[in-house]
Amino acid sequence: MLPERAEIVVIGGGIVGVTIAHELARRGEDVVVLEKRFIGSGSTFRCGTGIRQQFNDEANVKVMKRSVELWKKYSEEYNFSFEQTGYLFLLYDDKEVEEFKRNIKIQNKFGVPTRLITPEEAKEIVPLLDISEVIAASWNPTDGKADPFASTTAFALKAKEYGAKLLEYTEVKGFIIEDGEIKGIKTNRGVIKTGIVVNATNAWAKLINAMAGIKVHIPIEPYKHQAVITQPIKRGTIRPMIISFKYGHAYLTQTSHGGIIGGVGYEIGPTYDLTPTYEFLREVSYYFTKIIPALKDLLILRTWAGYYAKTPDSNPAIGKINELSDYYIAAGFSGHGFMMAPAVAEMVADLITKGKTDLPVDWYDPYRFERGELRSTALQMG
Amino acid sequence: MRPLDLTEKKGKRVRIFFEGRELEGYEGEKLTVSLLANGIYWLTTSTEGRKRGAFTFGPVPMVVNGVKNVDARKTKVQDGMKVERQVYGEFQEEPVGNYSGSVKEVVVDVAVIGGGPAGLGATLELQDSLMIALIEEKGWLGGDLWIRGVEVEGFGDPKRAVGDLVDKLNENVKVFLGSSALGVFEKGEYFLIPVVKSNELIEILAKRVVLATGAVESIMLFENNDMPGVFRRDFALEVMNVWEVAPGWNVAVTGSRAEEVIEELERWGIDYVHIPNVKRVEGEEKVEKVVDMNGNEYKVDALVFADGRRPDINPITQAGGRLFFRRGYFRPVIDQQHRIKHGIYVAGSAVSIKPPYANYIEGRLVGAYILKEFGFESEPCVYEEKLKEYEPEALQIPKIPFDKFNLEDVQICGCDVSLKKVDDVVRRGITDLQIIKRLTHLAMGFCQGRYCLFNGAVVVAQRTGKKLSEIDLPVARSPIKNVRMGVLARR
Repeated sequence: MLPERAEIVVIGGGIVGVTIAHELARRGEDVVVLEKRFIGSGSTFRCGTGIRQQFNDEANVKVMKRSVELWKKYSEEYNFSFEQTGYLFLLYDDKEVEEFKRNIKIQNKFGVPTRLITPEEAKEIVPLLDISEVIAASWNPTDGKADPFASTTAFALKAKEYGAKLLEYTEVKGFIIEDGEIKGIKTNRGVIKTGIVVNATNAWAKLINAMAGIKVHIPIEPYKHQAVITQPIKRGTIRPMIISFKYGHAYLTQTSHGGIIGGVGYEIGPTYDLTPTYEFLREVSYYFTKIIPALKDLLILRTWAGYYAKTPDSNPAIGKINELSDYYIAAGFSGHGFMMAPAVAEMVADLITKGKTDLPVDWYDPYRFERGELRSTALQMG
Repeated sequence: MRPLDLTEKKGKRVRIFFEGRELEGYEGEKLTVSLLANGIYWLTTSTEGRKRGAFTFGPVPMVVNGVKNVDARKTKVQDGMKVERQVYGEFQEEPVGNYSGSVKEVVVDVAVIGGGPAGLGATLELQDSLMIALIEEKGWLGGDLWIRGVEVEGFGDPKRAVGDLVDKLNENVKVFLGSSALGVFEKGEYFLIPVVKSNELIEILAKRVVLATGAVESIMLFENNDMPGVFRRDFALEVMNVWEVAPGWNVAVTGSRAEEVIEELERWGIDYVHIPNVKRVEGEEKVEKVVDMNGNEYKVDALVFADGRRPDINPITQAGGRLFFRRGYFRPVIDQQHRIKHGIYVAGSAVSIKPPYANYIEGRLVGAYILKEFGFESEPCVYEEKLKEYEPEALQIPKIPFDKFNLEDVQICGCDVSLKKVDDVVRRGITDLQIIKRLTHLAMGFCQGRYCLFNGAVVVAQRTGKKLSEIDLPVARSPIKNVRMGVLARR
């Protein structure tokens, strides 16, 4: 049954919505999550596992440093797998090396221990790598990977233990608003009274904004990105996430089950269509086998697609919308929302409970698009 | 003659070496069949250490001439070939596949996927007026008809019937044997069907598509149902009737369609015992003993199960078709002209389970519809009338005796997914197959759920009381058949 009222309603039961609810419930807040399908069913379900701190600006580096601390803490406390197997960016020319030297400087300044390493060192980390064209690599051993569905489920379970209510198959249909104040939310299962709402629906964020009558221009569009998985091979064969911008903006790693998982930059959209394409199969095969030739002989088992909820600068919109009290948004993660979620949850919970946060949330200001103040584009994979 | 040869082989003899032991094979023979003829059943070992053979579900990676991760089912024996067992996850660190050569493009009017009676029927109907690509994954045409030995209603002798149909194919038909279609991709004006033949990539462009993709055997659930010496009906019939090798000399037969197998065993003079309710098979390296639900034990050297076939729904859902549940199986939703959507037709046991002759008529029928679409004269109504004489078969929905099984020993999926793993998740209250997939790895392996998804749905239905018609099956994604990455990596 739908509860009659809740202090705070989070719309969206993906990793972001669930970690926000978890953080709020931990702090003793009365919170309900409304999810139209099942917990973790959207982009979280289709996500590529990666967690990295190697960004190219202060805010994202700081946020991701905090996020990794939280990934570590909660994976240990809640017993789900988060492996710090590192992120390895392969670099092929001087221009790339210069750019990454700048990035590494920012990362080091805020305590992320990234190093520029030689091709031979990279090959020691991943012996199957073809380093014939690689001239250097950016390596941070504290980045890692986690199973998106398993970790979302673990956060959901704990959120419930802290008293949060997670309602599945409950779809938001509209808002009840009086004099610029939220009074309740209409769902397919009835109305829930509330005063505080968080829009954590990522690819569907603009639909929820429209239902709430938000006039602020927050451009978030769904793009189709695809992923592939191969037959399982011996565990531990490819430990870090490997990135190659030269070869199709490819990212790949090995899952805990043994399959090689990953994708490339091939982007289609804006669209809500999720059918995998033949063109992706060809591209991902070409690029992956350039990076790791051994993949040529491995069987592709499946491809699938999910959304990147993209903004013009590849940074999310996180913050309070002032025209409607109390409406918050945490959406538009542009392909790296899974890794950010624990820190985003902390920021949003801080904003709701304290009105401020120590993390640099202004970087993700939802009003920046309208003001024409786009950020430097966040490093986006795939 | 080798220990399990049913006939004296006339082909060229070759020597192969299995784990160092010299054995006899015959040119053209599949590796798995040569090994079986020599009495070798255990070929590979799953990730969790379960011994596996080649004739039920799950992949068969072996080391061939020092190369790991070779698909033994797709390998033909050659003189001097050295073969060894391996564990699933072992692979070739230095790739050896030859992926040279460019991508071939073939333009036709109609691509017919599947060379069974339905595919042949459609092709024969179309070939006088249109250009056809006939794509068949196996090394032969005739599909399920080709593996049968006893007379078949409407066709008589199955081998002769297939021979007659194949002889009629004309020069408008390009036949692709041993070729796997990876899916159907809509390109507006035409459909793209990428096809892999050994390591070659062929892109077939067609204005219309016929999915004559057939049915797959239902996998029976009992303890150690994955062990060497367990035969799926189709594999048992194939080794006997295509390769003339016995599954064993003393065979247990089970399942609701056991008679189909028994007829064939009697034809070949193979001893058998019919065990209606198998609980467990046992043995060191292969099946040695079958135990039934009443505790009776039978000493045998193989077990064949035949529990009915269900349409292979993967090509249908990948191509954009929807499903409904009726008569005990999931079937494609089709319009009045047997289309799952504009331009894509289905025929044969991909639509419903019926005799081979009815599937052939259904193939002719969709061919006639396509001819009409292209402006040629045709009479689909003649075939429609004929098809009406065949009521599709109904299949019993299996009842899993959960309380009688040691659930850990019953394999639901070839990739180390036990019935226990799935049942535990369902009993925790998770009944959405998408989530069950994620948590157990059911339907995420080499067969993309072909042999396990239905049983997964049965577990949910039985444990929750939900009707199968209310359970949504996850759709298949491309590639619908496994393909080596090097094949697609060409530029």
